[in-house]
Amino acid sequence: MRVLVQLRPSPDVVAAVADPAVTATAADVVNGLPGVLLDPTFTPVAVPRPLPARAGGDPLSLNQPLIFSMAPRDASVLVRGEIADDEVSTRLALLPGRDGVVGVYADPVIQSSLTCGGDGPVGDWRDVRRLLAVERLHAEGYDGSGVALAVTDTGVNEPHVKAALGSDFVLDRERSWSPDGVPGRPGEFDVDHGTMCAFDALLAAPKASVIDIPVLLSRRPGGSALDGLLSDAMAAFAHLRTVLDAQPAETRALVVTNSWGSFSPDWDFPPGHPGNYSDNPAHPFNLIVGSLAAAGADILFAAGNCGRECPDGRCSYPDRPITGANSHPAVVSVAGVDVTGERVGYSSQGPGRLADRKPDLAAYTHFAGSGAFGPGEPDSGTSAACPVAAGVVAAIRSRVPSTVLSPSDLRTLLMRSADDRGVLGYDYDYGYGVVNVPGIVEALRARASETRTADGSPWLAV
Amino acid sequence: MVLITVRLPRGATLDMALRELRLKKEEVDVGYGVVAIDPDHGLYGLRVSAMAAHRLTATPEAMDGPWADPKIEPMGPPGKDR
Repeated sequence: MRVLVQLRPSPDVVAAVADPAVTATAADVVNGLPGVLLDPTFTPVAVPRPLPARAGGDPLSLNQPLIFSMAPRDASVLVRGEIADDEVSTRLALLPGRDGVVGVYADPVIQSSLTCGGDGPVGDWRDVRRLLAVERLHAEGYDGSGVALAVTDTGVNEPHVKAALGSDFVLDRERSWSPDGVPGRPGEFDVDHGTMCAFDALLAAPKASVIDIPVLLSRRPGGSALDGLLSDAMAAFAHLRTVLDAQPAETRALVVTNSWGSFSPDWDFPPGHPGNYSDNPAHPFNLIVGSLAAAGADILFAAGNCGRECPDGRCSYPDRPITGANSHPAVVSVAGVDVTGERVGYSSQGPGRLADRKPDLAAYTHFAGSGAFGPGEPDSGTSAACPVAAGVVAAIRSRVPSTVLSPSDLRTLLMRSADDRGVLGYDYDYGYGVVNVPGIVEALRARASETRTADGSPWLAV
Repeated sequence: MVLITVRLPRGATLDMALRELRLKKEEVDVGYGVVAIDPDHGLYGLRVSAMAAHRLTATPEAMDGPWADPKIEPMGPPGKDR
């Protein structure tokens, strides 16, 4: 978090800062503050002290006639810095009173035009492919070949995806699966959200085999804590476990993209209740997510569309909107950025409920893509960002099976190679940064040059 | 129907679950079946009537739950609120 720190140094320092003929630096004002990374590029600013204009006035009230004193004994000085997001509350409590600190204040990014729901597309899918360095990815052999890519959503319309891509793709009918009572065949569902997800995942991994899992078409009544749809997602994940277990170890690769979530605490037991989902790692769906990931699946979830600047109207959690499996420590939780690299205003911010450091990273959204929602309508939401990132993972898996690089290690690699945005290091807006394909490819090359398998052969042929 | 979890041997079937838990077929969501949550540790899920779940809670070692089974929805496209 970026902060402004108000200090009251000695009067001669205040005088120097206030003197337009002198260029002071943060180091002139304070010799470091614990836990605050001071910004050396920010010129300290002198701030006048408000004083009652009339004798006997209340020295602590701003609701009276005031004068503003820039006298060195009265004025204070502002410097700028950053506090790690997971340290903010502690530092804010402990810093005042130390080393001349008077107060610590948020220094929010001033921005009037974050992309929001209802805005037109920003760029198109070709921009996304360029930003993902897809040509380079494919030139290195990372194209999704042989990788099972499960889209758990509203079902895929194969002809629409083919038309939008302008090319064929593999729809894996045999390994596709529907919840009990859901009519329709794989690849033949109405053009909707799931079709968008499939298109977006195939941008980076056009040769992946798409497994169609229309779990969101289930028509259980919902609307209460006990009769919804999450149990169908659990059954879908159990099916995917059989898919994974049936793969030969030397080519094991299953990527699962999930652009869905639960929007309302009213549909759940409250946190603390033993049956709760949103905050409970012991809930069976959270257990099956961990179990599938441990068995070798790469699982990605959309962080959600409950960002503070322009949340989706369905968002009902009063805080910490990244809930349940969307915040599971074993998944990649994906935030959204537009093709300019700026976070979209609806992208949910952390911390997560199951794991604090959520989202993990960001990927592209809000671009003209599949046209699944009609001409001119963007592929939007963290719903689009999640499969875009899943496509990158699927592309990587075409050469690096999960028996060679575990889902956990791949997650670490994605985070370490991400293009840092926002404040320095991890933050709750972008996670570790925007997915960065050249960085991933370089990291894989470096790892390959250092590592050999048990039989002495190269870990990865480069 | 409510979601519960039970411990069963690896490769458990619905018939096995009915037998172990002394459930009648009409008390179980047969279409949903028995879902392997963590087959390595013998953890399975099934949906049973509220009455059956209540009966099973009398022997807490037999089951866990009922668990929340919230409605889930596609994340997008986001609404137009700004």
